[in-house]
Amino acid sequence: MSINNFSKVVIVAKDEWRYWLRSKLAMTVLAIGLLLTLSSVVVTAITMHELSHDRHELQSNAEQSFVEQPDRHPHRMVHYGHYAFRTPSPLSTLDPGIDAYTGNSIFLEGHRQNSAMFADQRQGTALTKLGSLTPAFIVQTLAPLLLILIGYSSISRERESQTLSYLLAQGTSGITLIAGKGLALLSVVGLIIAPLAVSALFTVSAGESLLAVASFVVGYALYLTVWVLLILLASSVFSKNSGSFTALAFVWILLCIVMPRVASTTASTAVPSAGKIETDFAVKAELRKLGDGHNTNDPAFKQFKQSLLEKYNVNSIDELPLNFRGLVASESEAKQAKVLNQFAQQRMQAELKQTQVSRYFGWVSPMVAIRSLSMIVVGTSIETHHRFLRETEQLRFDFVQGLNKIHSEELDYKDDINRNADATATKKASVSAENWQILQDFNFNVDSADVRAQRSVPAFLQLLLWIVVLVGGIKFVGKRLI
Amino acid sequence: MSYLITQLMREWGFLLRQKYVVVLLLCSLILSGFAIYSGLSEVSAQQQTIERLKAADQSDRSKVQQKQNDAGMLAYYSFHLTYSQPSNLGFAALGERDIFPWKHRINLLALEGQIYESDSQNAELAQAGKIDFVFVISALAPLVIILLFHDLFANERTSGRHDLLVTTAKSYFALWGVRITVRFVAVIVCLMLPFFVGAVIAGASGFEVAYVSLLCIAYLGFWTALSVWWGKNATSAPRVASSLIGLWVLFAFIIPILGDLAINKSVHSPKGGDIMLTQREAVNDAWDLPKSATMQPFVKEFPEFAPYIDMSSEFEWKWYYAFQQMGDLKAAELSKAYRDATAKKYELAGFVSWVSPPLLLQRILTREANTDSIAAYKYEQQIRDYHQQLREFYYPWLFYKGDPTKAALENMPRFESTTQSSN
Repeated sequence: MSINNFSKVVIVAKDEWRYWLRSKLAMTVLAIGLLLTLSSVVVTAITMHELSHDRHELQSNAEQSFVEQPDRHPHRMVHYGHYAFRTPSPLSTLDPGIDAYTGNSIFLEGHRQNSAMFADQRQGTALTKLGSLTPAFIVQTLAPLLLILIGYSSISRERESQTLSYLLAQGTSGITLIAGKGLALLSVVGLIIAPLAVSALFTVSAGESLLAVASFVVGYALYLTVWVLLILLASSVFSKNSGSFTALAFVWILLCIVMPRVASTTASTAVPSAGKIETDFAVKAELRKLGDGHNTNDPAFKQFKQSLLEKYNVNSIDELPLNFRGLVASESEAKQAKVLNQFAQQRMQAELKQTQVSRYFGWVSPMVAIRSLSMIVVGTSIETHHRFLRETEQLRFDFVQGLNKIHSEELDYKDDINRNADATATKKASVSAENWQILQDFNFNVDSADVRAQRSVPAFLQLLLWIVVLVGGIKFVGKRLI
Repeated sequence: MSYLITQLMREWGFLLRQKYVVVLLLCSLILSGFAIYSGLSEVSAQQQTIERLKAADQSDRSKVQQKQNDAGMLAYYSFHLTYSQPSNLGFAALGERDIFPWKHRINLLALEGQIYESDSQNAELAQAGKIDFVFVISALAPLVIILLFHDLFANERTSGRHDLLVTTAKSYFALWGVRITVRFVAVIVCLMLPFFVGAVIAGASGFEVAYVSLLCIAYLGFWTALSVWWGKNATSAPRVASSLIGLWVLFAFIIPILGDLAINKSVHSPKGGDIMLTQREAVNDAWDLPKSATMQPFVKEFPEFAPYIDMSSEFEWKWYYAFQQMGDLKAAELSKAYRDATAKKYELAGFVSWVSPPLLLQRILTREANTDSIAAYKYEQQIRDYHQQLREFYYPWLFYKGDPTKAALENMPRFESTTQSSN
């Protein structure tokens, strides 16, 4: 595009702004849009900071109360257990994603993998079923509507008031005119995204990487660009304002309101996933084969006992240099964890498969594309929750096995089997509280920005495809503009 | 009469010749059909899951009962299924069942440690929301109606036919009334027809269907009247539609969001985590405390076991379950406050919904279908009651009757789902 053409584009854009500044409707819409975006940024930032603070505090409280437990039998601590809390990622101030829909705390204890508890949504008012005051919702759903309201007539208006033929006759090409109107609309997009970008940049100081911030902002810019192009196309194609408006409103309803739900409903119908209770039956059946780690006489441990006797070259378990009960607990915990992890892995795979199906709808709805992109980049998608589950499982396994090691090394076998005889025997069958220091600090972090960026590639491609197709369409229409 | 019929036929012909009206109507029919179809399959999946769980639960427990004889071990390893059946109207209003659990397995340990576990659906799908009939009617249908009715007058005005039409029409109704009626009936049929088919398949009662239909028609009538009235004197159709859609955004998003913020600020609730911690500390402290510290408060609750609280060893199951119960008791106040806060929030949300018609309809329909938060609280209470029954069943065996016989295990209380109807 030559300089001369570009200056024409700018003139058209400026003129469009002049029209908006005179139009009450456009100004109201702009004001509402900016107000909503700003307030959502502020409100969500405050909420997520509070949540983050609360959960950090709960986490350190949980760690403190664990290490402050008195001298006791190490297996008691296996059942005393520990808590892990999912602290939100820095960027989640812009898109809390699934944070309120999954439990955010998990109780970790021996022999079991508990599910996450206390999803905030369950204590909600059920008022936010359609939408919530988060920047993600406002920009994904409402911003396109606002753009439609101020842009639907950008070209059809010139046609309806018969200024279009003048403009074209005076040497302004159709493409230049559309580009100018597009530039004006893109400047509105800039206005809407600015608060998001500023808020996103703030998270860099909280440890978020620039790559994630950039992907986030670019993703939303691409998304709103798709809408600008859709608006330009409809406005060029329809001969009347009302036609352009009706078509755009219809497309908005379809893409922003209907498609995300159709995607999730289709996903859950197409890939049914068994709930945890149901898979737990299979888990329990497997676990039952492994025997009860509390009961050293369980036939399941016969072979283990034999191998230990051979290894240490002794005749009875009393002669073992280590506490047999601790060894059995450790052995059975390891085997159980293997089974539990195998099933947990299956469940996560099924969930990912479901999510994948719903994400394919990004090819037909840019809203679905930006929704996945945003949650993935921010670190509030289902993958982050799975990472939380995996990390907490590691934490659980480490502290339980640490305690089992203490059980087998620091506690005498005879004291151990006599522990329930009387109060002094119970006291004797305990280890020092210093041992509880084995608990590692837990601080949940989302996947690295690289990993998140990689995951978001399909969603970026979906948006880019939309842009390519729409630009092609506009070029086609622009050359034939009358 | 025949005059009216010719009028109707004429308008009907007009309607069918307008491409975008036909597209809109067709889309409504398809979406409503999709919502009903997915609702039916969701409900039937839930029912099948419950049936499978019932069978698996039974066989799992009988395996435990074969393996264990000791009352304490039996109670420790036996899990008991509870569930909440979807109602006959559930297919139309899936409600909160993707967020609140409708199935749960419990054992005799402290309930506060188990009841918050959730066997929930894929969170990312739950966050997107599901399409069900209630969503189609309460959120989508108003938009369809706005698009269908906003340009009734403006369209004729911009085409320059308005004044001619008004002066030549026999009556106001013959012109506008008939046109509105035809469009309204068409949209009602497209939206409601799948619901009627679904209701027959799901076996919903005639009364329920009539009640839901009445509500839906009244709601759609409200939006139609609003759209027509708003557009009466307008010349620019897009202007009318913009303000109507703005109103819809206000009702569907802005008012609920503000209400949610206000309610969450005004209702204070204990943190869920605190209930768990209180319960866990109470249960764990009990191991180190003198046995009487558990048994004395326990027999206050259950005086009939007072003669049997002496222990011959440092560990006995009766003491173990007694301190589990005492753990629940310690957390009871917090737990109650937590539930009260939740109920309070839902109640306050009811007031907000009076100024937001889409929410009001959602609330009424999910209440009728028994899939709202209230239904979820009731189910939670049923779990609590059932847990209490289980305690009452096991305690005599744990305290003085010894190991239960197989015949006695047959008489173990069973969970009865009583959530078929809304009351």
